[in-house]
Amino acid sequence: MDQFARAPVDSVDGGVPQVGTAAKVFLKYGSILYINLKNQLAYVWDALGRAFFIVVILYIFVQLWTAVYASQGSAVIAGLSLAATIWYFLVAEMIELGKFRHDVRISSEVKDGSIAYALVRPYHYLVYHFFNGLGETVMRMGLVLGFGLPVALYYGGVPPIQWATVPLVLLVLGLALLLDFIMASAIGLLAFVTEETASFRLIYQKLIFILGGLLLPLDFLPDWLQGPARILPFGLVTYAPAKLLVAFDMTQCLQVLGLQAVWITALGTGLLLQYNWAVRRLAVNGG
Amino acid sequence: MQSEIVHDIEIAVPAVGDVPAVGAEEYDAHETAVRVRGLRKVFQVKHKAPGLRGSLAALWQTQTQTVLAVEDVNFAMRKGEMLAFIGPNGAGKSTTIKMLTGILYPSGGAATVLGYTPWQERRQLAYHIGSVFGQKPQLWYHLPAEDTFQLFARIYELDMVQFRRRRGFLVEAFQLHDLLNIPVRKLSLGQRMKCEIAASLLHGPRIVFLDEPTIGLDVIAKQQIREAIRTLNQEEGTTIFLTSHDTGDMESLCDRVVIINHGRVIFDAGMAELKRRYLRRKVIEVHFADGDASLGDGVGSRAEATAFAMPGVSVLQQDAFGMRLAFDSYRVPVDSVLQAVIATRPCTDITVTDPPLEEAIRRIYSE
Repeated sequence: MDQFARAPVDSVDGGVPQVGTAAKVFLKYGSILYINLKNQLAYVWDALGRAFFIVVILYIFVQLWTAVYASQGSAVIAGLSLAATIWYFLVAEMIELGKFRHDVRISSEVKDGSIAYALVRPYHYLVYHFFNGLGETVMRMGLVLGFGLPVALYYGGVPPIQWATVPLVLLVLGLALLLDFIMASAIGLLAFVTEETASFRLIYQKLIFILGGLLLPLDFLPDWLQGPARILPFGLVTYAPAKLLVAFDMTQCLQVLGLQAVWITALGTGLLLQYNWAVRRLAVNGG
Repeated sequence: MQSEIVHDIEIAVPAVGDVPAVGAEEYDAHETAVRVRGLRKVFQVKHKAPGLRGSLAALWQTQTQTVLAVEDVNFAMRKGEMLAFIGPNGAGKSTTIKMLTGILYPSGGAATVLGYTPWQERRQLAYHIGSVFGQKPQLWYHLPAEDTFQLFARIYELDMVQFRRRRGFLVEAFQLHDLLNIPVRKLSLGQRMKCEIAASLLHGPRIVFLDEPTIGLDVIAKQQIREAIRTLNQEEGTTIFLTSHDTGDMESLCDRVVIINHGRVIFDAGMAELKRRYLRRKVIEVHFADGDASLGDGVGSRAEATAFAMPGVSVLQQDAFGMRLAFDSYRVPVDSVLQAVIATRPCTDITVTDPPLEEAIRRIYSE
C-alpha cells in the first residue's frame, strides 16, 4: 500500500488535544463507569429481582452446611467454621451473581457487527468494556450484598473478618474481576471464529463452579484436585477473595496476588493478541 | 406526475466515461480532506449448501466464497466540501465509509483522511472525525441525551468550558432546547436523530461521515437536520461526507456527487453537471386562456382541431383547458417548444418542470 504525504491537521476551535493526560484518561474511563451506573438505575427492578435470588441460594446453603457440620460432629472442617463457610458463600455468590457477563456482551457485539461502531471512538475497545462492566458489577454486587447480609448475619452471626485486612482483600477482589474480564472477553471474541460462544461460556461457568470454589471452598476438595485448583485462574476469581475475607492468611494472600499477576499478564497478553488479530479481519455483518 | 415515464421519447444519455471525473484532480495537501486511491476490500464469506446435508458437509470442509465489496475506488475531497456518496444497495458505500473511518482494514489501495491513514491511526483520527450511522444509535437509550453528551465530552477529552460553548451552539443549530433532559427512549425518531447527530458533533470534528442520517424521518425533521448540517458547513467549514438514498438530502446539501456501483466509482461530478447530463427530459404544462369560454361549444372537436404536434415532443395529455408535453431538451431546445406552444393559442400559465433527481440516478445505476 503506498502512502500519501501527510497533510497537517488544523487546530480546531472547540477541538481536542491528541494526547490525553493521565487525568483525562482517568476521567474518560471513569465517566464510562459512571454512565453505566446511572443506566443501571433504569433496570433497578430487574437487578433487585436478580439480587433477591441470593436469599434463596444462601438459605439452601445454610441448611446444607449446617447438616454437614452436624454429621461431622466437629466445629471446624478444613480450617473453616460453619460461620466462616456461610460468609464464604455470601462473598463467592456475590462475585458470581454480580460480575458482568462480558462474554455475552462482546460476542453479541461481534455477531451483530456493533463492535465496528465502538472502533470510531478514541478509546480502547477492551478498556471501555472493562469499565462499562465495572459500573454494573459494583451496583449488582452491592445489591446482592444488601439482600444476603441479613441472612448471613442471622445464621452465621458476626462475620469472622479481620477488618485491617479488608483493603488487601479488596485488591484481590479487583484483580479477580480483571482476571474474569480477561477470560470472559477472550470467550466473547471467539465469536469471530465460532459464531456462537454459548458452549465455551458453559464450560467456563462449570470450571468456576468446581475449580473456582463456588460449589465447595477449595479447602474441602480432595488433595489431588486441590493442588491444580489453587494454581489455575478460576480459583483466583471466586475462591481467593471469599476465602481471604473470612479466614485471612498473609502467606496465602501474597501467593494469590502473585498468581493473579502472572495470570493477568499471560492471559491479558493473549487477549490483546487475539483482539488485534480479530479487528484486522473484522468483516461487518450487514455492512 | 413528474416521475411519469415517457416511453416514446428515446433520450440519448452520454456514456459514463464522457463525464469529467473531478475526483481525479489532485488538490493541494493542505486543501485535501480525503484522498482515496485504488481502495479495495475483499471479504471471505463462508459458503454453505442449504439443508442438513450441506450443514454436515460444511463441518468437514468449509467452502469460502470471495466477495469483492470494493474493487477500485478513487476520489478526493476538498476541505469544506459537501459530497454525496451514493450507490445502490450492495454497491460498496458502507464498506468504503468503514474503511475511511478506520473500522475496516482494506485489502489494497491507499487512503488518507485529514492526513491520517484511518486503519493505522484509528484512535488519533477519531478525535477529528464525527460519524453518524443512521441505523446504529449511539445515545444511551434509558438516559437523557445530556448524559451521553457529558460522556462524549470526557471521551473526547474536551474541557468543560469548550463543552458548554459547543453544546450551546448545537442546541441552537439543531433546536434541541427541551430535548436534552428527556430520556432518549421517550423522544420521537426525529428528535432522537437530531440528538444523535448533535452528539457526534460535540468534539468539533473537521469531517463528518453521515450514513443515512434522515432515514425514516418526516419532512420537518429532515428539513431541520439539513439546515443544521448546512449551518455547520458554512460557519465552521466542516467537510460533509454523506451517503443517503434520499435525493432531497443530496440536492439540498451537496455540491458534488460520487456514485459507486459494483465497487467502482461510475460517476463523479458536480450536482449541476449530474442534472445537466441526466435530467434532460422536461415536462411543460400549459393552461389555455380561452379554456373556460370554449367549454360550451364542442370541446372535443375543437381540441382535435388544434391538436399540438411537433417533432421530438410527445403530448402526454391535451384537452380544452390545457396540455402537458414532454421532450428531450438536448434534442429539442426548450425555447423552440415554448414558442410553438405560445403560437397555438393564448396561454394563462406555462410551467416547465424537471423530472426528479431519482430518475437521473436510476439511469446511472442501470447502466
